[in-house]
Amino acid sequence: MAEKKVFSKLGEVLAKGEFVLTGELEPEKTCDLSHLVQEAKEMAPYVVAANVTDSPLGIVTINSLAACAIVQRDAGLECIWQLTVRDVNKLGIAGMIMGAEALGIHNVLSLTGDHPNMGDMPESKPVFDLDSATLVKLVREMVDTGSINKKEIEHPPKLHVGGAANPNSDPMEAEALKIGRKAEAGAEFIQTQVVYDLDKTIEFLQAIQKYKVPVLLGLFPMKSYAIAKGFDMFVPGVDVPKDILAKWKGIKTDITDKKDQNEAYDQANYDFFKPFVTELKAKKLLAGVHCMAVHYPRIFPRLVEVIKG
Amino acid sequence: MTIITTKKPFEEILGAIKDFKKITIVSCNSCAAMCQTGGEEGAKEMAEKLEGQGFSVVSVIVPEEVCDNRVMLKDFRKIDEDLNNTDAILTLSCGLGVASIINTLEKNHPNIPVFIGTNTEFMGMTERIGRFYMRCRGCGDCLLNETGGICPITTCAKSLMNGPCGGMVKGKCEVGNYERDCGWVLIYERLKQLGRLDLFSKLRDPVDWSESGHQREVVWR
Repeated sequence: MAEKKVFSKLGEVLAKGEFVLTGELEPEKTCDLSHLVQEAKEMAPYVVAANVTDSPLGIVTINSLAACAIVQRDAGLECIWQLTVRDVNKLGIAGMIMGAEALGIHNVLSLTGDHPNMGDMPESKPVFDLDSATLVKLVREMVDTGSINKKEIEHPPKLHVGGAANPNSDPMEAEALKIGRKAEAGAEFIQTQVVYDLDKTIEFLQAIQKYKVPVLLGLFPMKSYAIAKGFDMFVPGVDVPKDILAKWKGIKTDITDKKDQNEAYDQANYDFFKPFVTELKAKKLLAGVHCMAVHYPRIFPRLVEVIKG
Repeated sequence: MTIITTKKPFEEILGAIKDFKKITIVSCNSCAAMCQTGGEEGAKEMAEKLEGQGFSVVSVIVPEEVCDNRVMLKDFRKIDEDLNNTDAILTLSCGLGVASIINTLEKNHPNIPVFIGTNTEFMGMTERIGRFYMRCRGCGDCLLNETGGICPITTCAKSLMNGPCGGMVKGKCEVGNYERDCGWVLIYERLKQLGRLDLFSKLRDPVDWSESGHQREVVWR
C-alpha cells in the first residue's frame, strides 16, 4: 500500500495516530474578522486545527473559505474549511476546491448544510447538487487523480477531506450506514455532532468502527447556564442531560463572583467530559476530540487535560 | 395521476386581465375539476365573479383535457365566432393548458392573450379528493427500483442522493419544523422491511444534469 500523503498538520497527526484536538470558529455577520482571529490566536496553542463554519443554520455569514484564509494568515492557526453543498453546484464547488489550494487551505469538512428555510434568507434557492458523500468523492477525485471528469488539473489541490456523523441519530442504523458511504467515498476523518449520552455514543461508534475512519468526538463544553439551556432548547436532536442543566443552574445561582463562577463552570465541564472521553479512549473508539465551544477559548487548557492519558 | 392545481387569488387574476373586457373562460374538466379549480363549477363561479367585476364573459367551454391539443382544436372550432369577439382567454387548468391553448390557437387566433387562474402545484397522488401528495417529480431518471419505491428526489427536502442528512431528528425533517417524515428514513425503513439494506448502503452518484432540466420532450414518431 502506498504511503498516505500528508498535506496538513491535521493530516500528519492523524497519520501518526496521535490523539487530536480540534476547535471551532464561527464567524458572525460581519466582514471584519478581528474577533475571530483573536479567538483563533487564543485556541492556537492547544489545538491542531480549527473548523471554520459555513453559514450554520442557514444564517448568512462570511464565506468560510475566505474566513479560513484570513485566520490562517493572521492567527497562524490551521483551518478545517467547512463546506456545505447547500449553496453552490458541483461546478462551483470544484472551483472553490481549487481556490482552497491557492489560498493554502488543506483540510475540508464535507457537510450537507442546513436548509435555507431554517435561516435568515429562506427565499434563497437550495442547491444540493452534491451531497455530503459525493462531495467527499469529488475532493478525493481531484486530489488523488489530479484531474476532474478525466481532465487534468495542472496544479491539483492537496486537501484532506472529512465528514460529519451524528451519534444521536434515530434511527441510528440509517446514520451508521450513511457513514459507510462516506467512508467508501474516501472520507479521511469523521467529526461527530455534539454528544452527551455515553451509551448511545459507544453504540454508534462501535457500529461505524468497521469503516476504519478516524473519529473526532464532538464536544460542547458549556460556558454558562444560559448557553447550556439555549443549546438544549434550540439544537434539534441534542438533549443536554437534566443533571447537567441542574448543575449549571446551581453554579449560576449559588456563585456570585464572576471569576469563581467561570472557574466553577470550567471545572464542571472537566468533571463531566473527563470520564466520558476516558472511557471512549479506553475502548479505542476515538482518534481525537473536536471542541465546538465557540467563544469559549479559555476552556482549551482544561480540554487538553480531558484528553490526556 | 393528477396535475394538482390551486386557485390563484382573485385579485391577482383581476390584475392580470384588467386591460381586457371580453373574456372567454376555458375550464379543464380533468385534473382541475378534481382539484375543484376548474370543471363546470369552477367555470360557473369564475364567470359570475368576472361579470360582477364588469367583464363580459363571451364564452365558457369545459374541455375534457385542456392539455391535449387534439381536444382543444375540436372544442375551439365550436366557438370560433366567439373567439373572434374575445379580448383574452382565462384558463382554469394547469400550466400545460396555457401552452396547449396557445399552440392550438396559433393558426387562427394568434393574437389572443391567454391567462391562467390557477397555480400548478405538482403531479400528485390522490388519497381522496382534497388530499393530494407529491411523490414523483418526473425527473426523467427513475431511481425507485433501488430505493424501495420511495423517491429521494421528491421526499427528501434537499433531494439528496445519499441521505439522511444531519437535519433529520427522530425520523423527521428539519424543513417544516420536524413535522414531515425524512424521505431517507422512509427509504431506510422500507428497504429494511424488504430485507434490502444492501441497497441503502450503496453510495450513489449525483444526479446527472447534462441530459435534463431544459425543455424536455418525448418524441417517438
